[in-house]
Amino acid sequence: MTVADMTINSAPRVAARKTRQRSRLPWLMSPALIFVIACLLFPLAMMLRYSLNHYDPAELMVSALTAENYLKFFSDSFYQEVLWRTVGISVLSTVICLVAGVPVAYFLARYTSALYKRVLLLLILVPLLIGNVVRTSAWMLILNDTGVLAAFLGLFGYTGRLNLMYTSTGVVIGLVSVLLPFMVITLNSVFEAIDHNLEDAASSLGAGHLTIMRQVVLPLALPGILAGSVLCLILAMNAYATPVLIGGPTFNMMAPIVYQQIAKAMNWPFGAALAFVLMAATLVMTIGVSAVVQNKYRKWSE
Amino acid sequence: MRKTFPEIQNPLRRSVLGLMATGAASAILMPRMVLAQQKTIVVSNWGGDWNDRTVKFMEKPLLEDRGYKIVHDLGMEPERKAKLISEKRVRRASADVIHINSSDAFELKRQEVVADLDLARIPNYANIAERLKSPYFVPWLYSGVVIIYNKDKVKNPPRSYAELWDPKWAGRLGLTSQLYFNYMMMASLVAKGNMTSVDEGKPLIEKLIAEVKPKLYAAHQQLQAGLANGEVDIAVNYKARGLQWARDGQNLAIQYPEDGAISVIFGACLARFAAHADAGYAYLDAMLDPTAMANLSAASLYAPSNTKAVLSDEVRKEIDFTEEERAKMHFLDYAYVADNTSKWLEWWNKSFAA
Repeated sequence: MTVADMTINSAPRVAARKTRQRSRLPWLMSPALIFVIACLLFPLAMMLRYSLNHYDPAELMVSALTAENYLKFFSDSFYQEVLWRTVGISVLSTVICLVAGVPVAYFLARYTSALYKRVLLLLILVPLLIGNVVRTSAWMLILNDTGVLAAFLGLFGYTGRLNLMYTSTGVVIGLVSVLLPFMVITLNSVFEAIDHNLEDAASSLGAGHLTIMRQVVLPLALPGILAGSVLCLILAMNAYATPVLIGGPTFNMMAPIVYQQIAKAMNWPFGAALAFVLMAATLVMTIGVSAVVQNKYRKWSE
Repeated sequence: MRKTFPEIQNPLRRSVLGLMATGAASAILMPRMVLAQQKTIVVSNWGGDWNDRTVKFMEKPLLEDRGYKIVHDLGMEPERKAKLISEKRVRRASADVIHINSSDAFELKRQEVVADLDLARIPNYANIAERLKSPYFVPWLYSGVVIIYNKDKVKNPPRSYAELWDPKWAGRLGLTSQLYFNYMMMASLVAKGNMTSVDEGKPLIEKLIAEVKPKLYAAHQQLQAGLANGEVDIAVNYKARGLQWARDGQNLAIQYPEDGAISVIFGACLARFAAHADAGYAYLDAMLDPTAMANLSAASLYAPSNTKAVLSDEVRKEIDFTEEERAKMHFLDYAYVADNTSKWLEWWNKSFAA
């Protein structure tokens, strides 16, 4: 047998093996798939079914096929206000995270030594190692009228009330502190992936810092900026601990209202409907933002 | 012929998966088998100092030291209630005994997840104050919703619930959202003198919000802090809590409302599908032990349900209610509360929304 024969003969064998391996590949997905179906899709389907049931104080949940829970949401201005407040707070927190996160992430990617960067990234990560509730409790100690911030401002002669606890400002501060690390870490990896030579090239062609940022870096980073923003937005829309602890009992956002209906009022059908409304709103915003940004990105990059 | 990697892997993977499945199954089954062998009681209770005192004065000396093994499921009552109700379909209960207040107990009974009690198996039940008794609930400790005020800053406290509506208390009153339905009851009392006129009381709550501008706290710990740092000077809460805060060093006094305090009763139920019902009965009887109850009352500052609990005169005077106060006390119409509580919660949220 010549070498040429072997090559000719082995080629289909290799191809066959590859096909065989490829046909097995979907099996690699099966653990994740089973997990997603059993732990996400099935409970979601159940919740969807619950949301169409009827609530009765004596029976709690009566099997039915009614849209009354959704109608209740759309006919009651209180719940719509809660949804709009949730959307507003989430968008505002995300924008603040973006504005605050981009410079930090860019600085980390471009202007720090490897060791320094590792230390700084670790510092940014440290808050994530502490539970959200614990961090938010610390914010309560800082923000309240007789708290750390008030004492600090007192050193400079400020004695008025801060009025930060139980307000939307307080909740935004709390949310930004929770979300900022996610934004910085996502953006940092995006900036890292952008070839430094591109900026040097732009610079050598006479572009200033702002032009480089606007024309080169930001367009390239746009998909990453989108990913970070969507991540923050989703987390903010579904935030529970921050609105409950810093917002207090009179500040209503969607996730605490869902919890209240399910656990306190035992009104599972309405709670499930609220959960679906929240999910739908988050989904619409996520897809909407992605579509707009990608459209713009295409134009930008052309 | 050289074997491909997946071919070598396959038998190994199968045996690994098999082993994992066995492991998972035994992990699920084992605790139940072990629990069945010992005299185990699974107790669903609030956490924190409530549970610490339960363990210290009752569970440890009366049960654990006598060979029972107690497993705790600690949490706030909404979660614990929801758990029991959602387990109804599979006809099992993850807890044998559930600590709960009397109105939640009614709701659980109506959902048929707690059992009617065989009182013959709870000998101590006979000594419970008559007004507290119920066929499915073991009343344990009780208190009343009273007016708690800062002694330094309030010289002439409101003497009744009705006097809280006086605009002179504007900005000085603190409430907790946990007790929302007690406040709805309070308005019902002020409006019509009974506990079933919440609809007539609603305009009064709106008036209170508009004129007295009460500060609403999420939990009693925050209300306590509010009283301490001067955010509010008057609170409407359980007498036992007022006494606890005073014991913590706050300069507070208690005013029993002249229109009669709304009662709050804490106790326990036996789960209908309890896996260890016999041990559960032993637990319920131990709860009512007169000595344990006296110690618990002295520590928690809640009044004991067992009339045989031996309190020193000093402690009784501090924590218990006088005969007259007890006679004036208002008890909830549980069915009325259970039918409306979901609506009230919604109404309350909307009325107080920022």
